[in-house]
Amino acid sequence: MNYKNKNLEELGKKINNLNDKDKNIKSSKKESGAGFGFKISTEIIAALVVGVGIGLIVDNYFNTKPIGLIIFFIFGALAGFLNVYRVMRRIEKQR
Amino acid sequence: MAAKDSPLKQFEINTISNIEIGSYNISFTNSSFAMLITVLVITLFLTLTVNTRSIIPSRMQLISELMYNFIAQLLSDTVGDNGKKYFPFVFTLFMFVLIGNMVGMIPYQFTFTSHIIVTFALAAVVFIGVTILGFVNHGFKFFSFFIIPGVPFYMHPLLIPIEVISYLSRPISLSVRLFANMLAGHTLLKVFAGFVVTMPFFTGAFPLAFIVALTGLEILIAFLQAYVFAILTCLYINDAYHLH
Repeated sequence: MNYKNKNLEELGKKINNLNDKDKNIKSSKKESGAGFGFKISTEIIAALVVGVGIGLIVDNYFNTKPIGLIIFFIFGALAGFLNVYRVMRRIEKQR
Repeated sequence: MAAKDSPLKQFEINTISNIEIGSYNISFTNSSFAMLITVLVITLFLTLTVNTRSIIPSRMQLISELMYNFIAQLLSDTVGDNGKKYFPFVFTLFMFVLIGNMVGMIPYQFTFTSHIIVTFALAAVVFIGVTILGFVNHGFKFFSFFIIPGVPFYMHPLLIPIEVISYLSRPISLSVRLFANMLAGHTLLKVFAGFVVTMPFFTGAFPLAFIVALTGLEILIAFLQAYVFAILTCLYINDAYHLH
């Protein structure tokens, strides 16, 4: 009986150790700098692409050659910053 | 260097069997072939491994259950109880991208996720589906998604276009991220593989060692990108339920 209990205790310790290890691995899992930069840059580029696209379409329809592009390029850039802000906030939340 | 040795040669689409309906070219290409293999691998793997339905799972059954749990957990964490309905969709998307990336890691095998048209089609399905979902759930109140609460009314003409552009940029950032990661990784592998052959004497061993390490990294990226695709889909579904 005593022998059995000892075995079980050892098993319990082993499991606890493994659980701790698992936690350590999870907390130390960090994204690489390049991956992070890539994520941010795609957000900005995607918003800029949409902004420029809308600008060109608006210019085509209303014949306001440079103005639509200029305005929507600026909107696109601002939307890009908004996207980056949201990504950052999501990352902050995860921590 | 001749064009046939180019590192970008691997992304070329070759027609296997030519099919044209009307003026549309819907040929069966090497890209379609890779997708077919992916779907076959997923279907066979999942059906065969879960076939036994043993209470104490075998290793292979454990992998299937692990994948199932992974996505189920992801959905319940991000969307909550509403998320269960979308499990088949997100799981299919995740497995298609994941196994597609992994099949692409086999030498001489085509990687269909390295083509932006494929990833953009996947992202567009997510985007359009989520937009429809938002309208079904909220009706025309869905447009209030573009209005940030607590902002003075005179700021709205400036902020609403920004919000709309930000919303429209979702499918583009989703597709570009997956496509560019796969394209860059596979090009890099090919470039270093070129060094192995062209460098003199035994120095070719250094890029070879680098390729081995890079292949491991590529497999990690293949998994990570499929995960990112799935988690962003979950977040967008969540947005369609809870405006703000």
